[in-house]
Amino acid sequence: MENIESQIFSSYQRNPQLLDELHEKDGSIKKVYQTLFELYGQHSIQDYVNLNNKAKASFFNQGITFQVYGDNTVQEKIFPFDLFPRIIDPQEWEVIEKGSLQRSRALNLFLWDIYHDKRILKEGIVPLDLISTSANYLDQMVGVDPPGGIYNHISGTDVIKHTDGQYYVLEDNIRCPSGVSYVICNRTALKRALFGVFNHYKTFTVTDYAENLLELLESTKPKGVDVPTCVVITPGMFNSAFYEHSYLAKTMGVELVEGRDLFVENDFVYMKTIKGPERVDVIYRRVDDLFLDPLEFKADSSLGVPGLFSAYKKGNVTLANAPGTGVADDKAVYTYMPEIIKYYLKEEPILNNVHTYHCSRPKELEYVLENIRTLVIKPVDEAGGYGISIGNKLTDEQVDAVRKEVRQNPRKYVAQPIMSLSVHPTYIDETQSFEQRHVDLRTFTVLGRDKQFVLKGGLTRVALKKGNLIVNSSQGGGSKDTWVLKI
Amino acid sequence: MYNEYQITYTAQNTYEHWVDKAYWQFMVIPWEDNSQKNVQVAFENSMHFPMEFSHNGYGFRTLRCHSVDPFKEITFKAKFSFLKMEDNPFSFVPNASISWEYEQLAQLTHKVDFDQFLKRTNLTHLPSPAASLFTFDGEQSIFDNLLALNGWIFDQIYYTPGATDVHTTLKEVLDMRKGVCQDFTHLFCAIAKDHGVPARYVSGYLNQDGGFFGDTQMHAWAEAHIPGVGWKGFDPTNNILANANHVKVCHGKDYTDCAPLKGILFGQGENTTTHSVSVHSQQ
Repeated sequence: MENIESQIFSSYQRNPQLLDELHEKDGSIKKVYQTLFELYGQHSIQDYVNLNNKAKASFFNQGITFQVYGDNTVQEKIFPFDLFPRIIDPQEWEVIEKGSLQRSRALNLFLWDIYHDKRILKEGIVPLDLISTSANYLDQMVGVDPPGGIYNHISGTDVIKHTDGQYYVLEDNIRCPSGVSYVICNRTALKRALFGVFNHYKTFTVTDYAENLLELLESTKPKGVDVPTCVVITPGMFNSAFYEHSYLAKTMGVELVEGRDLFVENDFVYMKTIKGPERVDVIYRRVDDLFLDPLEFKADSSLGVPGLFSAYKKGNVTLANAPGTGVADDKAVYTYMPEIIKYYLKEEPILNNVHTYHCSRPKELEYVLENIRTLVIKPVDEAGGYGISIGNKLTDEQVDAVRKEVRQNPRKYVAQPIMSLSVHPTYIDETQSFEQRHVDLRTFTVLGRDKQFVLKGGLTRVALKKGNLIVNSSQGGGSKDTWVLKI
Repeated sequence: MYNEYQITYTAQNTYEHWVDKAYWQFMVIPWEDNSQKNVQVAFENSMHFPMEFSHNGYGFRTLRCHSVDPFKEITFKAKFSFLKMEDNPFSFVPNASISWEYEQLAQLTHKVDFDQFLKRTNLTHLPSPAASLFTFDGEQSIFDNLLALNGWIFDQIYYTPGATDVHTTLKEVLDMRKGVCQDFTHLFCAIAKDHGVPARYVSGYLNQDGGFFGDTQMHAWAEAHIPGVGWKGFDPTNNILANANHVKVCHGKDYTDCAPLKGILFGQGENTTTHSVSVHSQQ
């Protein structure tokens, strides 16, 4: 056994400061991973290199790529895939699944409220400013009842495992969360490369996503429609997630359309087909709010359908997700998620929020100023990671500068503890060995009329650069197949 | 007492090159409520393209049209007839307590309910705080302050057709001290909102028989909400209250929500649009 292990895991170095998902605290291999560890250990490094190349080719041949935009060039890349899967044991998964669902349901009720009675604002639980200054709040949605009462049909919840062993939500993505096609393709690629390993584990399937998605989308059909016609609308083949749009349309068995394939007449939506116009009832849209309808939003958008929004307001078509949903996945709204869950569901939050200190509150400001070294300081109104200071990476002078800035503009800043993402053994090309890399998990939750579904699995993203905490594909991230085990 | 009104709206569009495909949306139909009723609409276009009624995102009636064949010019003509109530805008019961009015403005529920018409937009953004331009007198009612604001704007800005366009900011308007009805209205809304009074932009028609400013196109004025009283119309371009000569089409946060014509063209080259409006009433 020692001998086998030395084949590919021998050089695996564990940093005791990090939470390694493969190992117990005492350094032994976790029970759920033991069989997998032995199976992988039977391969030589060369086997692994070959398998890895085979998997890469499989992705390329399936056309599962995304575009990286350079100065003058567009590069077609595959999302790097790691052959060593991540296993989530049933007890932990139950927490993640229930927690993701709880957040999605709470967000849906929150959206209903802020577009109707606005009780949570009137009671001062969520500050009015947050909504009224949000560019994603659509006044046009006030009083609109989305079919089936659903705003966020599809939610992507980004979850991490912190060094304390607990799961924390970093972000709720409820505009057009992407990545689910990778979940399914990762499974396919792993089965092609290492079919045998699946014989030793009882893993939940992920390929049932499309059928569940279609069923739940159809359940939110407009009133009076018997058998709804559903389509997926894409901004087009130049969109970085085009592969996913076409994949989902294909696996749901529905048409993939662009704006120009649809038209609106008397507030109903039709698709142009060779047999003549066909009425469309449910649109899974992967086009952003402001591009949906040039007559209502951005007039220079050629991606949308003129008149689509009026058809939606009349209740003649379902849009998933509903327009105006983005207001609820603002960074600032995130900090109120525990209150939002308690307010609407009368439940305690199942998944942790990363605690947020509002510098606008004097007591919290005091704490932030004293504990700056252990915190991440973020401006509330900047996106894309600008203006963020990570306390333990600052020099003494920088600490003073940040303190001064925060003290002068307390309203502008929030602070959070520095989170440390768990690590997972990941094959690294350059060193031809396994190394620890940080991982997160995006779960996919689908809400329908009185029905819901959480995909048993999810997208585990890996930060391939050593020590890097950013797992985004644009930042050189990769992904892993993620197994949820049956009990 | 109702007067019978007739309005003719014409939009003439000419294009540099042939246009293959176009969509138009008109928001020009008089709004229907107790003071404006029995609205009749006749609409036609020179290309005989199909037209249909719909509503925009805020629930106001629209007319839509899309091209069927390529074209180089097209004229739209709409005729509206309706009954308009003759009422006196000053005939309302004022609140007994002035301080009560201001207390209402400060309530969170009031701010939430009227958020849409209290928040800033690009076109109602003041370059400096409203107080440096026009202050409210706390001893006076909100209505009296708004009346004073109406007159102040009328005195500050000179009605100058062509001085501005629909993208002109309030900073530019205040620097030039020139503008047209939408600039007067944006300024009114901005200052009212800054004092906590909900205000909205109104697009419509003005019967010019009375010799008012308002050009021969569509007119704009403001509505402000006074607790206990409701929405009242102020026309700062003419320093009057909105009255029986003001025919409302729609309202919104600013001009952007109320654009009378939105066109989407799939073609190249320049295009020009000339609008003309005529309003007649028979007493």
